[in-house]
Amino acid sequence: MQIPRLGTKIDSSEYTDLTRVVSWFILLRWIAAVGVLVTLVFVRFRLGYPLPYNLLYSLTGVLCLINLLFTLYYVVIKRKNLARRELAVFLHVQIISDYVLLFFLIYFTGFLENPFAYFFVFHIMLTSFLFTSDIVLIYVSSLIVLFIGAFLCEYFRVIPHYLLGHSMDPGYFRLYLPRAIGLCATLAISAYLITSIKRRIAEKGRRVEVELNRYKELDRIKSNFILQVTHELRGPIAAMNGYHEMLIRGIGGKLAPRANELVHKANRRTENLLQIIDEMIDYAYMKSEEEIQYTKTSLNVREIIDYQLDIHSGQAIQKNIELVSDCPEDLHLHSNRDLLNIILSNLINNAIKYSPQSTTIAVNASAVTAGAGAAGTVHTDKEAAGAVHRGAVHRGAVRTGAVYAGKEAPEVHLVVQDQGYGIEPEELEKIFEEFYRTRKARELERDGTGLGLSIVQRAVESLGGRLTVYSELNKGTTFHIFLPAGGENEQNSDH
Amino acid sequence: MSKILIIDDDLDILETTGSLLEYEGFQIHSADTVDKGMEMIDRIAPDLILLDVMFPEKKTRGFEAAGEIRSKYPKIPIFVLTAINREYAFDFDKKDVPADEFINKPIKIDRLVKLIRNYI
Repeated sequence: MQIPRLGTKIDSSEYTDLTRVVSWFILLRWIAAVGVLVTLVFVRFRLGYPLPYNLLYSLTGVLCLINLLFTLYYVVIKRKNLARRELAVFLHVQIISDYVLLFFLIYFTGFLENPFAYFFVFHIMLTSFLFTSDIVLIYVSSLIVLFIGAFLCEYFRVIPHYLLGHSMDPGYFRLYLPRAIGLCATLAISAYLITSIKRRIAEKGRRVEVELNRYKELDRIKSNFILQVTHELRGPIAAMNGYHEMLIRGIGGKLAPRANELVHKANRRTENLLQIIDEMIDYAYMKSEEEIQYTKTSLNVREIIDYQLDIHSGQAIQKNIELVSDCPEDLHLHSNRDLLNIILSNLINNAIKYSPQSTTIAVNASAVTAGAGAAGTVHTDKEAAGAVHRGAVHRGAVRTGAVYAGKEAPEVHLVVQDQGYGIEPEELEKIFEEFYRTRKARELERDGTGLGLSIVQRAVESLGGRLTVYSELNKGTTFHIFLPAGGENEQNSDH
Repeated sequence: MSKILIIDDDLDILETTGSLLEYEGFQIHSADTVDKGMEMIDRIAPDLILLDVMFPEKKTRGFEAAGEIRSKYPKIPIFVLTAINREYAFDFDKKDVPADEFINKPIKIDRLVKLIRNYI
């Protein structure tokens, strides 16, 4: 038997639909059984037609039994999880059994006299919906052969004709031959219509898919291009940076104070350029997120914070900003190193850029449970809501109790706190938007992509964490980040 | 005086990194190709090697070179220099490269000196 084309195109979604179709068929069959039974009782006791009731009750019983077997097979044995081939076979078995049972029910209740003979049209429509046209053709022609064959057999008295009613309609054969032909034509036409409509929809689907693939490919090329270019840009900047450092250290001869100042300025712009390039790289990567695998390893949080403070120390010294840190030495996090670095680097960089001279920036980390962390944020949130010039924004899943293995999930709570200029309450909502820069940021620093915090937010989300920011004008800004600590029994499947 | 060998095809990086480290009191030798660098290791017996990753002949020549150096001179610490500052942008696993440290370009000289002092 040819394997029907089940869900070969838009695989998963169509496939899920088909498994749902099976459940639906089973439900419909129960309803049909009840319907048949009610109709039989009605016909017997209200209309009093002389039909072979015991036989018909038995057929209904067989219908129920078969449906029970289907349910057992599908729900209990296979747990609604069938391979595509099994699913196809299962659907065929159901369709054939439905056809046979319906045929007998109709045959024993007057055959073509019975108006319910047209129920075959629904069956053929469903079959056409599920299978390819060649298979539908086999079903339709078998049904037509069965109908015409049975009709002829009745005519030649090979099999008896069961009456629907009290006496044989004398014109039955003359009258019902056109009806048999009409039914057959209806079956063939419905099958044709459904299969051709389905083919057209599938064609359209294929075209959409081709387009989609083309766009995906273009997007990939674009991302690759950005990555290539930006990596290339880092080379010349590295050299420029080196020469600046040489000049600042007086390796090319002692600089006059003015010259020293100029070199510092040049160096600051170079640092900004590097920051922009890094943001573009991270942004390009995160935009093509489904392709990257963020491998998680066990990370020593203290080491990463120290590394970040170290690479930002030059920038901080120039503004006489003190970088302090409080983190237990053995605090570990099962997470992605790049993303953690990206989060901290962006936040520390912002803190330095948007803080006045001679202030302090604190980068702290501690272990908490999800519940404790949430309680903490609620408290500060209330506090924040009370003050006019304060604001708070929460990002990420509000998981007040990420529970697994019956325990509250351990988390690592990172805090980056500055004594900077702060963020206007009405701007606080927008800082995570792509390319958004606050008025103050634009005023203080010409360069910037406005991508930093949206990258931070994406990185936090990719790690399954959440993020909260509090800010008070001219007092400072504090970012709280809660990341799942992870570990062996981690059930977080974000990536 | 500790001897450091820098292998990088970018002459400006050789000049700047070299000068900055010299200023910090190291004796610097530089090579602009891996082959020249390999040849110099024998001759000058450096205490530490700074090795770039991308060379014109091959994008990951530096990683191969790190393997070659490590197998021939297992005691010399190797610092790999790379302009790629995100692990996910690498086409390889860091664990497969026998480097003692990975240094991002642009080099933060203070940090580099601190790391070098951990090894020599």
